[in-house]
Order: sequence, then C-alpha cells, then structure tokens
Amino acid sequence: MVKMSLDPVQVMSGQVKELKVASSSNGESRGSWEEKEEFDQDHLGLSTKPKPVTGRRARKVEGGVFFPKPENAVTIAVSSRVLFRTEREQKVFEQKGVEEYLRYQVEHENEPFAPGPAFPFVKALEAVNARLRELYPQSEELFDIVLVTYNHAHVGIRLINTINHHNLFIERFCMTGGSSPIGYLKAWHTNLYLSADAEKVREALAEGIAAATMFMPEKLTEVSESQLRVAFDGDAVLFSDESERIFKAHGLDKFFEHERENEDTLLDHGPLKGFLEALGKLQKKFYAKGHRLDCPIRTYLVTARSAASSGIRALKTLRAWGLEIDEALFLAGAPKGPMLEKIRPHIYFD
Amino acid sequence: MLIVPWSLQVTSRAVFEPGADDGDEVYKVGTAFPLLQALQRVNKRLLEENPDESLLFDVVLITTNTQQQQRSSSIISSTRHYGLDVSRFCFSSEEDFVESLLKNNVQLFLSADRNEASQASQKGVLSALLDQHSASCPPEQLKVLFSGDAIIRPDTDPTPASRQGAQTFLAQLGEMRRRFGAFDSPLSIVLVTVTGGRESCGAALRTLRSHGVSVDEAYCLAGAPRAPILSLLRPHFLLSDGLGGLEE
Repeated sequence: MVKMSLDPVQVMSGQVKELKVASSSNGESRGSWEEKEEFDQDHLGLSTKPKPVTGRRARKVEGGVFFPKPENAVTIAVSSRVLFRTEREQKVFEQKGVEEYLRYQVEHENEPFAPGPAFPFVKALEAVNARLRELYPQSEELFDIVLVTYNHAHVGIRLINTINHHNLFIERFCMTGGSSPIGYLKAWHTNLYLSADAEKVREALAEGIAAATMFMPEKLTEVSESQLRVAFDGDAVLFSDESERIFKAHGLDKFFEHERENEDTLLDHGPLKGFLEALGKLQKKFYAKGHRLDCPIRTYLVTARSAASSGIRALKTLRAWGLEIDEALFLAGAPKGPMLEKIRPHIYFD
Repeated sequence: MLIVPWSLQVTSRAVFEPGADDGDEVYKVGTAFPLLQALQRVNKRLLEENPDESLLFDVVLITTNTQQQQRSSSIISSTRHYGLDVSRFCFSSEEDFVESLLKNNVQLFLSADRNEASQASQKGVLSALLDQHSASCPPEQLKVLFSGDAIIRPDTDPTPASRQGAQTFLAQLGEMRRRFGAFDSPLSIVLVTVTGGRESCGAALRTLRSHGVSVDEAYCLAGAPRAPILSLLRPHFLLSDGLGGLEE
C-alpha cells in the first residue's frame, strides 16, 4: 500500500480544496504553484474562467529519444484517477450512472483536470528524463509514462486536453472502456502501476507487476522539482512479508529472535524490489558521468526495523542483491511521519 | 432519412474451409466464422431493443471459387447447419466479382485475400482484411478496430465513391452503436494509433466523432510494438484502407 504522495499543489490554508476559479470548473490549479513550473509561461495571470485548450504549447525537450521501446524503458503506468483529480466526475458516475457520467465528461471536455496525487511524481520523472537525455541522447533507458484508464474513450479528448494543458510528456495510453488493463500492462512491460483502486493493484501484483495505490493526502507539502525522491518500506515492500507475519502473529520478541537466528539468510524479495532495481540502473548512468553527488534520483529505505538488530538482515539482503539505497533510516518502531516530513519523497511505498 | 439494412459481403472462402473431401456435405468453419456469429449477435440484440429495427447487418456470402461454386448446395446447407444468418448467396467469376459487389450495393467487403480486398478497394468499395486473429475472436462481442494513423493520413487517391462509402459506413456504424449503452454492448469500437502520439490519437477521436462514431476503447502506441496489443484486443476486423482523407 502506498501512503501519501506529498502534493505541492493548492497552497491555500493547508487544506485539500479545489481551487475554484470558475463555477463549472473541476478545479484548475492556478496561482503560485503554476508559477514554479519552469515550462509554464502562459498562465501567470489569474483568469476567472477555465481557458479552453487549443493546440499544444512548445515542447521544451530538445532532441533525444521520444518514444523508447517499452522493454528498454522504465515503464510507469499511471491511472487517470491518480494523475488527476477526478472526484467530481466520480461522484457523477456513482450518483447518476455511466451514461450521465460520459455525457458530463464530454460537456466539460475543454476543462482540464487538476493535478492529482501522482502528479508531482510524474513531473519529477520528466525532470530526470530531461537530465538523462542531456547525458545520453540516443539512449532508450528513460522513464516512459503510460496513462491507463478503465474509462471509455469518450473521456479521451478531455484527458488529452489535460495532458496538453499541464505540458506533460505522455504519448502513450490505454483506455480500455471497462475491461481490465492488466494484459496491456504486461504488453507494455510495465515496471510500476499506480492506481487509486486497491483491487486493481492486487490484480496487478498477482500477475507479477509492481503496483501501488495512491490517494490524496490530508496535508500538502512541497517536494523537489529537480530530484526524484522515492522512499520504500522494507518488509512486504522490498522484502517479502515473512518477518512481518511473524511479528503480527507472535509479537516483537519472536520477531527479534527470528531475525537474529536468520541474520545470514537473505530475505525473500517483495513486490517493489524490481522497481528499486530499475531506479538503481538509472542512477548508475548518472554516476558514470560524474553526477553522484547531484544525482536527480535519490532512494530511501524507511523501516520500522532497528539499525542495531533486525536492520542488519535487511542491509545484508540489499547488498547481496547488488542494490544500493542512498539512505537507510531505521526507526526502531518510532513513527514514520516526522522522518517522511524531513525527506519529502515524491512517493513512499508502504 | 431512410436507414437501410447494412449490406456486408463476405467471401465464403473466409467463412468455410475449402473441403478437402468432396463427399462432405458440410464444410468446416473458417476464419470469418466467429465474425458472422458476432454480427448475428448484434442483430439479435438490436431486435431485442426494438423489434421493428431496420438498421441491421445484412450478410451476403460471395463465392468466386469455381470449385466451391460447384458445391454451392454444400455452402448453403453448411450455413444452415451452423445456424448462420445469410440473406443472399452470390456466385460470381473472379473477374467481375467487384461488379457484383457494386451491384449488390455492398457497404463493406470482407475477405481473407489481400488481392481481392485491394481490388474492391480500388473500385471504391470499402474493404477490410480478415486475418488469422479473426479466427480466435470471441463471438460474444463484435469488435471493430480503426487504425488511427490511417484515418488522419490522407489517402493517396481517394475516389469520391470510396469517401462517400466510408462516410456512410461510419454514420451507420455509429448509429448502430448508439442503440446500446456504455456497458454490455454487443458491438465495441476500438481505435489504435500506432505511430503517432497523443495528438494523432486525439485527432482521430475527433474525426470519428465528427462522422458520428463514438469510440469505446482507444490505445495510443506511439511506436510501441503493436502485435501484443492486437493479440489482446482480438478485433474481428481492422479498418485502415479506404478511410483516408476523411479529415477535411
């Protein structure tokens, strides 16, 4: 389960509120957040109505590979419900049914959706891509973002308009019109699938695809725009949940005993080990060109294990897998909140 | 406006396997068989919604193969054997089968033979190629696949007849689709954009919409390999030729 993506959008009174700039808008983000975007030149003035999106803005990405082969890229499949804010439309669907929902979407086609919990993460991926393209213009080893939705293609034009509006670099998508996208995720060699729906995540995990749920956080914090920060919990995320199960069934003492006895046995891998591996591969590309200190990807292990005892097994396992993690934070049971507040990851896999 | 039954011609060679054994009264099923079943299912559902429905698929079976023509009674009895709803049987020579297509007012011609499809297309008959994927398609839902790149790419030589044909076809297909709701429809319209990115896909969606077709599923590949996607989609037929130049 993924907790909180820290979302820099909407800086009004620390609450998650739709920025209402027009009566019928879904809530476009305007004002100070937009100004921070280096690509965004046209929206410095606050307008009172959502502007209809006409045409595309100039792309700032120069040169490089635009459409990498899925098997070479690190493919991140993102559901439209986590990339954008679609609560209002969800409500229409739940209260009035699918036909009304589709009609509503088409009516509001020229109103872009507001950014959702996965938005800063995706923006950070694009920032990393920009750096990768600078250093390796011919390489296909990039992040490739695919938009995946169960929606009917009726909603397609609104989604495309929204992508254009936010100047996102998303050229691939799957709109399945109601059927499961899992087969397509596999066809795209998906390395990570982000969804709002725990059931779909479970389905993906069952098929061997790393997946996580995301939802809107209560508190919003700023995150870096130049460095992608990804935090992982240890048990049941990077590692299998064997130890966690012992802790839950038999308590802390049994857990420590088990870990001590098995200190030299590697932990089994968890669902997100592959993703950490993919990140590591990209990190090495930066190191190879002398960018170790200012690497735009940084990984963290944030675990309830303690450094002195149970943490050792975790570190030994990572080392044996040949995986590096930039910072390992052993909380020894302390609450994770303050630590995450300090790190401010774009995404924390829990 | 009068809506006429929608004439669709299929080569019998695609529906039935050419029998090796002349003694057989009934042919084995071929590539287009699941397609015909799916078409029938759409008709059945249309009539359930409205018993007076006139916008239905009308299937005409055309045979150019002289061998099969000699066994014409076998073809007819085979269709009956499998419960296929064929309104007309047409036997014609290979030279003038296109004439008979035109005479029969066919709106869509389906064949597993690339040459035949191409010949018909050149004379202005909207044609689609059936392939081996069609054989394994589920008969429960008719999936019509549009290739987005073809829709927005101008045709090299669009005849006025073929453009008109394409436009009529789209309008009627869209009309038919509207008879059903978003879910549980026996007909699904799929768009795949192979080389272009989101702009191409958006343009294709708008173009189809302007011709009365609302797309159910859309896949934008932007250069990713299409085989895995197509094998998952399993469309009954793919429309790419004859649709060019639809965008004004």
